[in-house]
Amino acid sequence: MKTPQEQTLHTRRQFLRTSMLGGALASTVPLFLEKTFLSLDSMAASTTGQYPTGKDAPILVVLQLAGGNDGINTLVPFGDDTYYRMRPKLALPAKQILGINDYAGLHPRLTGLKDLYGAGNLAMIQGVGYPNPNRSHFRSTEIWQTASDENVIESHGWLGRYFDSCCQGSDPSVGVAIGGQTPQAFASIHGQGVAFTNPEQFRYMSESASDPKSTDAFMREINAPAPDAAHGNDGENNGGSIGMVAGSPSTAGDTVEFLQRTALGAQMSSDKILAITRKTKSSVNYPNSALGNSLNLVSRLIAGGLPTRVYYVSQGGFDTHANQLPTHDRLMGDLNGALSSFSADLKAQGNFDRVLMISFSEFGRRVAENASGGTDHGAAAPLFILGGGVKPGLYGKYPSLTELNEGDLKFSTDFRSVYATALEKWLGVPSEQVLGRKYPLLPFI
Amino acid sequence: MLLPLPEKLWNRFTAGHLLNRAGFGGTPGEIATLQSFGAKGAVESILKPDDDEDLFPVPFLLQPKDRFVYRQRIQAASTEGEKRAIRQELNLAERPSMIDLRVWWLNRMRYTSAPLQEKATLFWHGHFATSNQKVNDPYLMWQQNETLRHYALGKFPDLLKAMSRDPAMIRWLDLESSHKGHPNENFAREVMELFSLGEGHYREEDIQEAARAFTGYRIDQETGYFRDAPRDWDSGEKYFFGQMGDFTGDQIIDLIVARPECARFIGRKLWVFFVSDNPSEEIINCVADLLLNSGYDIGGTLRVIFQSTLFYESSVMHHQIKSPVQWLIQTTKILEIPLPDDRVIENALSSLGQILFAPPNVKGWDGGRSWISASSLLYRYNLAAYLLSGKAHISGGGGTKTALLPLQRIAPSADRFESALLLDPLVFRLFNSHISMKERGDFLTFLQNHSTPYTDNVIRDLLQIMMGTPEYQLC
Repeated sequence: MKTPQEQTLHTRRQFLRTSMLGGALASTVPLFLEKTFLSLDSMAASTTGQYPTGKDAPILVVLQLAGGNDGINTLVPFGDDTYYRMRPKLALPAKQILGINDYAGLHPRLTGLKDLYGAGNLAMIQGVGYPNPNRSHFRSTEIWQTASDENVIESHGWLGRYFDSCCQGSDPSVGVAIGGQTPQAFASIHGQGVAFTNPEQFRYMSESASDPKSTDAFMREINAPAPDAAHGNDGENNGGSIGMVAGSPSTAGDTVEFLQRTALGAQMSSDKILAITRKTKSSVNYPNSALGNSLNLVSRLIAGGLPTRVYYVSQGGFDTHANQLPTHDRLMGDLNGALSSFSADLKAQGNFDRVLMISFSEFGRRVAENASGGTDHGAAAPLFILGGGVKPGLYGKYPSLTELNEGDLKFSTDFRSVYATALEKWLGVPSEQVLGRKYPLLPFI
Repeated sequence: MLLPLPEKLWNRFTAGHLLNRAGFGGTPGEIATLQSFGAKGAVESILKPDDDEDLFPVPFLLQPKDRFVYRQRIQAASTEGEKRAIRQELNLAERPSMIDLRVWWLNRMRYTSAPLQEKATLFWHGHFATSNQKVNDPYLMWQQNETLRHYALGKFPDLLKAMSRDPAMIRWLDLESSHKGHPNENFAREVMELFSLGEGHYREEDIQEAARAFTGYRIDQETGYFRDAPRDWDSGEKYFFGQMGDFTGDQIIDLIVARPECARFIGRKLWVFFVSDNPSEEIINCVADLLLNSGYDIGGTLRVIFQSTLFYESSVMHHQIKSPVQWLIQTTKILEIPLPDDRVIENALSSLGQILFAPPNVKGWDGGRSWISASSLLYRYNLAAYLLSGKAHISGGGGTKTALLPLQRIAPSADRFESALLLDPLVFRLFNSHISMKERGDFLTFLQNHSTPYTDNVIRDLLQIMMGTPEYQLC
């Protein structure tokens, strides 16, 4: 049975269709679509609270260092002889370390981060991890992305659950991931969040049709899900089914619905994103690397006022099993350059105080180097928190290099405390409904 | 559980479905031929195809012995500058290789008369996901591809052992630097976590012990072949899965595949790749039994699956999201056009997230919904438009030409006088399935806005709209 809302939508669809066939209302189509989308979403909403939205709302940037960053050679315990004993080839000379205190300091390439620390914009949390650490890239990444316990399989991401519980009815670009694939952290019930690398290709290009206007109108029509079809009551004919063999109830209707929602979200957000990136330029030069380009794009989208709460970027290549020194040196240089440019850019825009960046990696690496001049998968590691609203400092304690858990550093701060702090103190939402339970909040904000 | 499909239920839709899943789809004519064999005969024809290897000559790849000479020259060079110059020379010598290799394989998928062999090779490439990003040697990547093809429908334990000796794999998972006394755990971990048992079905100690067995595996630099280095093999006693012995790597593999978890793991992956997501425990057990009872005969197991009623359920047919490679090959097949230019292919597969010989990580491609994001969906729509019109709006499309669409074959003049007469064969060609009344109505409305007989331009635009739909992403 249809609700009055659905009936209205249906009428609008009919109107939309007939209008488009007349070719008259093309410019108002996105507005209708947007309303359709928002209505669909609010129909699906279970609980909706009023949380900060709009142009001045806080923004979270999540930076994934993929592959397992060697936290020990990032925040270096240069004041500890054990470090030099355990890593005869890989230990960095104490005199090159950018000291934070007598014990620990930053990798020599992290000069910009050192400056940001000095300027009061950088916090570092030491010894972050979780109980019973898993040393598989995939499982541990999954744990970080879903914020689940080590022995629980959870398919939705922590940011996806934030979208579901706190951003219902928002534009799908409430989450933007720069990259080819949507990160699992975004996985959600309602499929919000978009992922792309190049905004110029993030649009439907109907110019190639011989009748672009009509083709475009039909494309938009077909890719706007009918409320009835989206709920699986397609009346006379079940789409796609042949009905030849009596089958079990189809779950694949969900797949079509998923594709339809993605198509509609793509249509709406691509119009907005393109409008912004075409008119906005960065005032700062970024390193010409994947990370540099990603952060440059994020900064332009922030400057252009895209209603995005969470951006997600990543840097790969941290799985340094062999010949680690030059590789890690290059990665640290790139990280430093990209974050320095990003901070300077946001400061120039006047948006630095609105943005909080959190870095993470699925695990740190083993304390002892291996025989290949590299390091194997480890456990706890430090993470960086950057932004105008950060209370600077070195939080937690550096894990002992001698009291190890299976050769790896023991964690002292659960990563979900970091998430909880960002949710509560930065995004201003209750963390328990996102993370499933309460975690102690940290004082970095 | 996997009862065979009654012949009376075999029709053009089931034949199309078989060709889509066991291969890369086909034209209505090819589907009709397969249909004429009957359900049983169709599956046999797919399992026992003609050998057509000679049709696909391997592109030029830098040979190991030539690479070896470059390496020696680099070593002998006295200055950094000289070394750099030789490295550049080497890079230049092999630059086109990876593109050539990818296009070679895609053409093989496009034109082979043994589509299941290529589809299964693609499955194993995702399973033993090895990337040239680290291997950095197109010749070794090609060698691995041929090994996967050779064993693709054979016995899984043979394939697993062949992979442990595969030079690209040896480099990819650091077996090269695994020595007696200093084993590297990378291969030992992944062989269990990703290649055979799945996470949680072994202990950390099992990995450490297995790593000791997988020592002494080398790549011969001059030939590019596997080389056994027995003196670097740790011959000591290992404690693995509760047994003591001076196990070799092969014996470790024998112990692994004897475990029912392995059959369940492989069975589940086969089902997800060829049939549908989220198989029930009952189905997994059933496929696992088939594998265990046949010594892991992959071709034999697929025969039972492809003949089963379950494979043709309405919840299975036309319900799988096409991978980017599937999308590309199937699209060129049903439009009866060749693959587009190399640059278009390279950009497309990179934007759509499936670069052959460069999977994102050792876990391979996640598949299913992960193929689809807002941006990749838009890219698919745009790529379809490009393939239909040849107009350059996608990266790599500039200055290239697309072969003319054989529109007379796809939409004969005789069909162009009436909207439904034109539409219904196109629906079967593109979707191999019925579509919803709503979509059919939309397509008909589009046609009815134009006058008959429909021109090539109208048909091209209609195809663009039909392919720019959620439905077209399914097979």
